[in-house]
Amino acid sequence: MSDEVEILHASLLVMLLAPPLSLVAMAVPSLLRRPLPEAAISRITRASSTTGFLAAATGLVTHVASGEGPLVVSFGTWFSAGEAGFSFDFLLDPLSLGFALLSTGLCGVVAAFSSRYLHREPGFTRYFVLFAMFVWGISLVSVAGSVEVLFAGWELLGLSSALLVAFFQDRPAPVANALRVFAVYRISDAAMLVAAVLLHHFAGSGSLAMLFSGAPDTSMLSTSEAVLIASLIIAAVAGKSALLPLSGWLPRAMEGPTPSSAVFYGALSIHAGCFLLLRAEPLLAQSVLAQCLAGAAGATTAIYATLVARVQTDVKSALTYAALTQVGIIVTEIACGLTTLAFVHIVGHASYRLLQFLSAPNILHDLHDLEGKLGPADATPEPQARTSVGPARRAIYLAALERGFLDVTIDRVVVGPLARLVHLLDRFDRLLCGGAPARHGRDDR
Amino acid sequence: MTAWFAWIACLAAPPLAIIGASHTRLHVERLRAVAVASAATTLLVSAVVALAPGQAGFAIPWPGHPGAILGDSVLRLDALSSLIVPLPAGLWLLTVAVTPRARLDRAGIRRTAAATLTTTSCFLTTSPLLLVALWTLSVWAFVAALSAPPNRHARNVTLCYLGASTASFAAGVTMMTMWPAGSSVERAGVWLVLAAALLRKGIFPFHAWIPETFDRGRIGPAVLFSAPQVGAYVTAVLVVPRASPEALRLGAILALVTAVYGAALATFQRDARRACGYLFVSQSALVMTGLESTNRLAVAGSLVLWISSAVAFTGISRCVLVLEARRGRLDLSRYHGGFAQTPLLATSFLVLALACTGFPGTLGFVGQELLVEGAVQIFPVVGLLVVLAGAFTGLAALRMYFSLFCGKRVDAIHLRLLPREVVCFVTASVLLIAVGLAPAPIVAAELAAGDGILRARARAPHGSPRDGGGGPRSFAPAQDP
Repeated sequence: MSDEVEILHASLLVMLLAPPLSLVAMAVPSLLRRPLPEAAISRITRASSTTGFLAAATGLVTHVASGEGPLVVSFGTWFSAGEAGFSFDFLLDPLSLGFALLSTGLCGVVAAFSSRYLHREPGFTRYFVLFAMFVWGISLVSVAGSVEVLFAGWELLGLSSALLVAFFQDRPAPVANALRVFAVYRISDAAMLVAAVLLHHFAGSGSLAMLFSGAPDTSMLSTSEAVLIASLIIAAVAGKSALLPLSGWLPRAMEGPTPSSAVFYGALSIHAGCFLLLRAEPLLAQSVLAQCLAGAAGATTAIYATLVARVQTDVKSALTYAALTQVGIIVTEIACGLTTLAFVHIVGHASYRLLQFLSAPNILHDLHDLEGKLGPADATPEPQARTSVGPARRAIYLAALERGFLDVTIDRVVVGPLARLVHLLDRFDRLLCGGAPARHGRDDR
Repeated sequence: MTAWFAWIACLAAPPLAIIGASHTRLHVERLRAVAVASAATTLLVSAVVALAPGQAGFAIPWPGHPGAILGDSVLRLDALSSLIVPLPAGLWLLTVAVTPRARLDRAGIRRTAAATLTTTSCFLTTSPLLLVALWTLSVWAFVAALSAPPNRHARNVTLCYLGASTASFAAGVTMMTMWPAGSSVERAGVWLVLAAALLRKGIFPFHAWIPETFDRGRIGPAVLFSAPQVGAYVTAVLVVPRASPEALRLGAILALVTAVYGAALATFQRDARRACGYLFVSQSALVMTGLESTNRLAVAGSLVLWISSAVAFTGISRCVLVLEARRGRLDLSRYHGGFAQTPLLATSFLVLALACTGFPGTLGFVGQELLVEGAVQIFPVVGLLVVLAGAFTGLAALRMYFSLFCGKRVDAIHLRLLPREVVCFVTASVLLIAVGLAPAPIVAAELAAGDGILRARARAPHGSPRDGGGGPRSFAPAQDP
């Protein structure tokens, strides 16, 4: 094994082990009712973030310096059952290591910010435990070389996201919204799992390196199989990156603390879907249909989000929809095959939006500060109020104000009928048992 | 052989000692302490028996020339039974250690010991007659546990369903063993045994008694009766080797539908107990799906899920019971609070629930992954229902977690766990994660057990007159390699 490969192995191991070790170090004392002081938790998180970032940077520099192509690193078989093997494979190339570097870097910034922002918050330890879970998840997604590893990272992202939305768990609204967010994530996870199973079924392997290599002679899938798997990946991406029609959960996710909103819905989690699509671009390229599907999803989401962003009345929602606009554009770029542009767009947008989210709570203070230093801004003449607004313009405005009626439509079309069906079945079950009445009357939805 | 007899005696002695001790004047808390020690001993002995080298293939034959109804041996330890023998003892330990003081009684502890002994005996035999006797005994003990006036309705419902299943099982075994293989009567017998297993496991449309028992009956006896999944064992030993492909296909599809049905209903339930009941229906159906699909991966997956779901589900039920003992009946449409007071219980609940949903890093993930892979090979479209069931289960589990542990802190209620409760919940959670992170040994063992089941099927005619030989059948289980 050459020196470069050994360095890459070591960097990968360090990057992947730092978050779970910090998670255990923070969670166990807390569960044993001996929680660590805030300073210790901050130090652990900072050490973990720095280690992860340095490991990712070392890995990227080493890989670029070696001048070799994509490298698959295997840490052995997780478990195998006859013909089906589930392995700890990781795919190292500039794309995966670049995204890992971006992730660990931004997570380090957020960790440093959070330790001050959440000072004396009752759930301080819980926040950082969930944050470590998120860092672990995004690291796995970044460098996953097999669908099992990708799925594990994907699930960790979803769970940590839902639990952080419910961070202020004393209030009912964040918890209810977290459940809603998790419901959409389950759709995304189900699509991802089906894609993984079908990949095993069709190709006999869960290797992402082989699947996403794009070389026609190494492609193990027929066109129809590629379209099916690509469509499922687009569905998984739609859930995680809030593409239409699954965009309704995004403003609900703003119930969490600002730093977690920043790193999840401004910077990394919302781009995790784009990154997956970027990886799967060779698969998309095998079928015009899949490309059109991804392009349509991206373009409609961008148009929808930019309209909604313009009528939001709170800064976090406005930023969220602005971020979603860019995500839609990135997805469209990937569908058009502009992968380098898409990656640069992801890096730039994630960094910029993170900064905007983190400074959002201070925006009034900053404006006042600016005014104090520069004097009040020039009084610009107010635009004349329009006396008449066209019906189309009014309809678009109302639709944007109601965020495209997405939640209402999903409630009416999916949740309502499903709940009614389940209540009917529940009553039927009770009837089968002698018609015993429900203890609490009508079940909730 | 003598050493094996000694081990078997060690396995039976602790539950028998508790049954005896429960008739003395020992204080009930002290009796519980003895029961916990006995359950731990039984678990240890069963683990030693299961892990001992050369254990597979050990059998105590019937004297003389037994008929088909007696089977080949009184007691048999093969790859399958060695894997699941520790299960009843583990569930017994969880049950007696975590039963709230207010619900602890002498008769209850006696019943838990009896149920453990019966289930362990079931898992150690393939004799049809003994299985019928033990099945009947376990049903009788369970129904007896529901004799208190508040549980009468649940008892009547349970009696109807389980009475029918017992009658069906007894009639089916008689027809299977007394008539020549391949005859129409024998095939009808296999169908009856399959129906009995479906009834006992609560597979749609015979599922309604399980949520009812959890809702209006008693959770402790219900879990000890259902979680070890004797119905799945009977399916593996008696049904899979000789049922026709059509029968197994029907059973597998019904089980798949039940898995989704149970998980969907659990998601929308308002009562925690009822939600637990439907969650169990779903998990139990997943095990049945794998067994009846007769695919190597799916069978191995279902065996992994059998163990994972039994431990996870028992843990979840005990969490609910612990909370009920402190707060009363739990309404899932409210947020009850309490995370700050019991972070350990909340975290354990979350881990156990995630294991049920097949979250990566838990044993449930391994089982579900194998099950989905195998099910899709047999049922390319319908098999994907397993994924749908997993999605609903995840939603139901997180909803329960949010409802039970989120919300305003209620300081008036004492929620701190007792040390024995802490040990039980932590052990169950750590076990599911540890084995889930390093599942290779258990997967290899489950594959071997699954291969045994499939070899037995490959050897036997599948109820078809043209490929079946005449004469009463022998119930020799598969030999392990």
